[in-house]
Amino acid sequence: MPSRVFRMCCGCSPAISRAVMMICGTATLISSTALAQSVCLPAPRLLTMMPMGGQVGASVEIVITGDNFEDTDELSFSDKGITATRKLDASGKPVPNQYVVSIADNCPAGVHEARVMTRLGVSSSRVFNVGSLPEVTRTAANASLKTAMPLTVDSICNAVMTAQVIDYYSFEATKGQRIVVDCAATGIDSKLNPVVIVADQQGADLMVQRRGGAISFTAPDTGSYVVKLHDLTFKGGSQYFYRLALQSAVPGELVPRLPSTRTVSSFSWPPPGLIDEAPLAESEPNNQHALAQKIALPCDIRGSFFPAADVDTFEFSASKGDVWWVEVASERLGLPTDPSIVVQHVTGEGADEKRNDVVELSDIASPMKVSSNGYSYDGPPYDAGSTDILGKVEIKEDGIHRLQLRDLFGGTRNDPLNVYRLIIRKAIPDFAIVGWALHMNLRNGDRNALSKPIALRGGTTMPIEVVVVRRDGFDGEIDLVMEGLPDGVTAAGIKIPSGKTSGIMLVTAEQNAPRALVSASFYGRATIDGNVVTRPCHMASMQWPIPDASQEVPVPRLLADVPVSVCGSEFAPITIAPIENTLWEVTVSGKLTLPLVHTRRCEFSGDSINLRTFGPGFEGVPAFDVSLNDETSEVVLDLAALKTPPGDYTIAFYGSAVARYRYNVEAVTTAEVALKQAQQKAMNVKVEAQSLTELSQTVPDDQKVTAARMAQEAVARQKAAEAAVVLADKLLKDVTARAQPKDIVDIVVSTPIRIRVNPAEKK
Amino acid sequence: MAHSRSTAAQRGFWSVRFYLTVVAFLYVSQTCVAEVASSVSFVNDVVPILTKAGCNAGACHAKSGGGQKGFQLSLLGFEPLEDYESLVKDGYGRRLFPAAPDESLFLRKASGQTPHGGGIRIAQNSAAYALLRRWIAQGTPYRSASEPQLTSVEVQPNLGLVKMNAEQQLKAVARYSDDSVRDVTNVALYESNAEAMATVTESGLVKVHDIPGKVAVMVRYQGTVAVFTAAVPLGATVGTLPATKNFVDEHIFANLRQLGIPPSTVCSDATFLRRVTLDIAGRLPSEDEAAAFLASSEDSKRDQVVESLLRSPDYADFFAGKWTPLLKNRRDDASDITSNFAFHAWIRDSLLANVPYDQIVRELLAATGTVIGNPPVAWYKRVKDPKEQLEDVAQLFLGVRMQCAQCHHHPFERWSQDDYYSLAAFFSQVGRKPTGTRGEDLIFHKRGVATAMNVKTGMPLKPAAFGDSVGEIPPDADPRLRLADWMSSQDNPFFAKALVNRYWKHFFKRALIEPEDDIRDTNPPTNPELLAALEHHFLTSGFDLKSLVRVITQSQAYQLSAEPNEHNLADRQNYSRFYPRRMQAEVMLDAIDHLTGATTRFANLPPGTRAIALPDNSYNNASPFLQVFGRPDSLSVCECERVQSSSLAQSLHLINSSDIKSKLAVGNGRAATLATKEIPDEKKISELYLAAFSRQPRADELKTALEYLNEPLLDASGNPLEKATAARGNFQDLIWALMNSKEFLFNH
Repeated sequence: MPSRVFRMCCGCSPAISRAVMMICGTATLISSTALAQSVCLPAPRLLTMMPMGGQVGASVEIVITGDNFEDTDELSFSDKGITATRKLDASGKPVPNQYVVSIADNCPAGVHEARVMTRLGVSSSRVFNVGSLPEVTRTAANASLKTAMPLTVDSICNAVMTAQVIDYYSFEATKGQRIVVDCAATGIDSKLNPVVIVADQQGADLMVQRRGGAISFTAPDTGSYVVKLHDLTFKGGSQYFYRLALQSAVPGELVPRLPSTRTVSSFSWPPPGLIDEAPLAESEPNNQHALAQKIALPCDIRGSFFPAADVDTFEFSASKGDVWWVEVASERLGLPTDPSIVVQHVTGEGADEKRNDVVELSDIASPMKVSSNGYSYDGPPYDAGSTDILGKVEIKEDGIHRLQLRDLFGGTRNDPLNVYRLIIRKAIPDFAIVGWALHMNLRNGDRNALSKPIALRGGTTMPIEVVVVRRDGFDGEIDLVMEGLPDGVTAAGIKIPSGKTSGIMLVTAEQNAPRALVSASFYGRATIDGNVVTRPCHMASMQWPIPDASQEVPVPRLLADVPVSVCGSEFAPITIAPIENTLWEVTVSGKLTLPLVHTRRCEFSGDSINLRTFGPGFEGVPAFDVSLNDETSEVVLDLAALKTPPGDYTIAFYGSAVARYRYNVEAVTTAEVALKQAQQKAMNVKVEAQSLTELSQTVPDDQKVTAARMAQEAVARQKAAEAAVVLADKLLKDVTARAQPKDIVDIVVSTPIRIRVNPAEKK
Repeated sequence: MAHSRSTAAQRGFWSVRFYLTVVAFLYVSQTCVAEVASSVSFVNDVVPILTKAGCNAGACHAKSGGGQKGFQLSLLGFEPLEDYESLVKDGYGRRLFPAAPDESLFLRKASGQTPHGGGIRIAQNSAAYALLRRWIAQGTPYRSASEPQLTSVEVQPNLGLVKMNAEQQLKAVARYSDDSVRDVTNVALYESNAEAMATVTESGLVKVHDIPGKVAVMVRYQGTVAVFTAAVPLGATVGTLPATKNFVDEHIFANLRQLGIPPSTVCSDATFLRRVTLDIAGRLPSEDEAAAFLASSEDSKRDQVVESLLRSPDYADFFAGKWTPLLKNRRDDASDITSNFAFHAWIRDSLLANVPYDQIVRELLAATGTVIGNPPVAWYKRVKDPKEQLEDVAQLFLGVRMQCAQCHHHPFERWSQDDYYSLAAFFSQVGRKPTGTRGEDLIFHKRGVATAMNVKTGMPLKPAAFGDSVGEIPPDADPRLRLADWMSSQDNPFFAKALVNRYWKHFFKRALIEPEDDIRDTNPPTNPELLAALEHHFLTSGFDLKSLVRVITQSQAYQLSAEPNEHNLADRQNYSRFYPRRMQAEVMLDAIDHLTGATTRFANLPPGTRAIALPDNSYNNASPFLQVFGRPDSLSVCECERVQSSSLAQSLHLINSSDIKSKLAVGNGRAATLATKEIPDEKKISELYLAAFSRQPRADELKTALEYLNEPLLDASGNPLEKATAARGNFQDLIWALMNSKEFLFNH
């Protein structure tokens, strides 16, 4: 169907792409492509905001920066209580990348997501903080004691760290006054690993915090004190931002830490329906078996790994055959802990007491093998597992049992804030799911860990990998559903099969889907004990686009919501789709021939693309090549070989291809036009200046002064116009250079294909 | 009592004893021979002869040295049964010929009748030869069932006052399980712990030289050791001593009185200020600090300055720089920067907060988690092998060198391979999980019963600390915490002693036990009472490091002058005067920056970061200065990795390197500033002396400096230099001269 084959260059408007598409590129296999390739098509990324937050009820002007960031438009937030408008200059025109953000009085304090619409769609997220304290932004350098920036206690300062610099702040305190100094950095997407020091007026260190904690400082005397702040290894730059809070507190008062984003592992906490606070608290001393705290099952206990090497021992009675499920949350609360449990059966008393191990429980395994630190990825760079506990205790004998809970990281640490929650319950089968944009090994040695917003190009199918933590023995299949999508966008979930741990969500934008941004609904659906339940699918993303994870450790985190956009400005390099969007049927022993259409909009480096298959029941389809030069192809699925049982399936083909991508070709046209306009204007002004200059020499004496002034003004306009030409010329060169074809390898996924496998026909 | 006729002397333990002559065995104890006339025991009679003859020394037939020509004996005869197997049975029994003992290859080689790489070890006409011959003739018995076992060796006397240049004969007596004794003087081995003070012959004759103090001679017989300690008095009259400030003075002065060594006088205020600032804070006093201190008339000003220095972050920076190389905070890869900075900072912050020493060690030993979350975990990144872990911990924190005991019984000590692997067992349950950073693990306690296998016996051993039981350790308990408990217990004989000895050396140049990390019964302290008192003080203070530094630096002993009096120049171990020492590399670099007004820049660190605050060894590569002056590369737990000796390269660097020249000529440096400063030259010279020496110039120094500053300078053409240029040059020269003086380069 040639008429359905669009020949438009990705990165170009349809009109321009037609001119470019005729250039045929030579082709090689992906595996032999040059290492000069880049990885992943450009995606818009919001990288910094200054300031990074504001006080509830306040309005704050912010400046943003990012990657692939042209034509920034709407700045939106995950909470509706935060809104933004473009900042206008004196002439009423929007100032690029500057906004006025309003925080409603009822906006909840905490971290929220901010992102901006750009030419390429919605950007990746950046944290926007909302708090109750007044905020300031550092405006002048404060890299020495002499230039220390005065801060008011009970305020927050937003700032950016400079490399090889120590930032100095001063504050006043009265003798005995307690001040909590806290610094938010890694928890708000910053790369800063903060070292916070409270010093005396001369800058001599008094207290130091390097592990991300807050400093509780009680002033020994009335006077000035200094806060020094730097990165652990003295790194700096725009990505090293922080928020420094000074809060007064009475002795013993628990001052909440500055809010933080959630780790990926925390998606599996809490279990649905859990009450906020555990009804029972651990009771010390309970370190020894003889001092075990007696509990009755089921139970829900809160406790703390304190003091160092703390062991919390609980004793309960259980009967042979009982099955109890044990869940501990601590790491998933954002704490640096590693809970470990041993359950033992106890017989005898006193000196005759004997204990036999029933079970040892430790980590929640990652549902998928996480990539090692090897040469290339051998799994996703996201770890959805946790050092927390979720496991089963099968009682083998009647009688007394003891459960001992420890923190494997707590042998020498004395921090009462390292709390936990221990739940022992009868099975309540359930599940929790989390998804992230699929990462693949795209070339030899590739370890990209890029943040990938769901910013769809026309004709793109974006794969999202979804994994599940199953709770209390739930083993059923889970459908993946995404709803509330923009016009022209559809989502098809490749379900998580029974007993399996991962699935794929495919989000597809039609070629002509209009530019849009929505917050979508993404969830998993399963039948548990005869009831249909849905659970939200959290999305995770890298905080920063890390081009090479072997050089910089990527830091993923959970996102608050699921923004989905269509850019309306670019198309996918290629769309591979079945010739017809229909339900394809085949018998269990038959063969299904799928005609595929390749809608190619770009030159490629390579003759063919090697495709494999997503979808349970079809993962065994042998990898196959389709030609990138042909407009159609066929793939034959041999159901007899696959042994796929009857049922309805969704599959997709996936691989990677090297597109000869041109970035923002429209900008070249725009810049060319702008240059011509500038040149024309310069020409006009030059002529005007010449004529006025000549005129000034011929006018009568009484008009000479005026004429000379007018001539001078014209010459000034001429110079300004000529400078504008230089700028326009530079801009054109810049955008032309960036629009040069560049080999970029990226994931290619076909549109979803629905297949019904019918039972064998009865003869 | 027989004496060796050998005139050879001064041999190290590991040296091959070529001079261990035939002659010695002509005089082998008649008592011994008589006792064994009826039946010769391999264990009690033959092995001592092999040991005395040096057969089982490292370079000869000891297994640890490879065993020449396939004849392998246990080092120093610690494993008689193995030696028996090797001698009697290995090589198809070809070494012995009972039917014709004199034809035994063993005897023929030892007596030189058959060519022997080790030469003649046992003369054919010696009693030792006769005894060996008889043993072979008797059918090479191992030992009889009724034969007593060696229980100990004694040295008589074990203490003594020996005058300079005098001699003392020692007698070695072996005690056996049946209460019998033997005089083993001539088959025992002897070794002096300070050969500059005393040497000892093969037959136990101690010859004392002319250095006063305490010297020990180790007597070793089979696996047992004994020690003779000699006090060598100077014998001078000790008059009035400085008033004692604390127990340190009491023990130091008591020792000096006993030895008759009059101490030097107490040093000047300027010397004290400079000394204590360098020793506690690793820097020179500022001119203002020096001027204020000199001007103060307060009685307690010395104590006050100690307190002030201990409160300062400089103290933490300086001592962190002492500890982190010993803990191998080494940069092998660029990605190590985070863990190295975090680890250094953890030590530094702990010292700043004066975290008790036992707690610091506990946090290190039992570290769990990630480097960022718990920086002492970084030690487990550097030291991954459990054997290396135990060896480092033993040497660094306990002053015990266990390396030898991995393969054989410790030659100087009572430590066996069982002791070694029992200590290794504490580290057997260290679990690791990979992290996002290559080469960096997350550390946790791996549940299980801790054991380590003795590779020789194949027996699994439970954790034990140098033979001390630490009780049953359940699978859930981290054995490293038990080790930390044992170390910090009040009656631990190693932990506190090792630390106070190490710190004593920091302030006095010489440890009470040298080397500071080789504490053993056979290497006694020069002032045991003082060591015990320091240990007691440290324990009762709750392992308070600042308190230890305080009690040392506030003592009069620490504040004695480095100027010797007419008697104590030879004293090198009794602290009758302060022993001057060159500033260490980082301190000297900072001091030169301080004096010249220059700033040394270090990669990744803020301007103004001083060399003593450098987190790891990576900066050595880019700094010829730090290399030349011996900054360690964090490869070893031994302080000896820091080179404190002098070299020609050091002198040349100070005298003529572009590095130093650029510091002198730096645009906003001290020379440039002084050249343009509108104050009299006298004040400028005064400022320089305060900066360099923390004192005012003497009149003669002032006169010399003034004359130099006012000398006209000529350019290459012989024309007078422009005044400002000349002034700048003159000040550079003057600073250069001060910098190259011993008074500047040394802490004195």
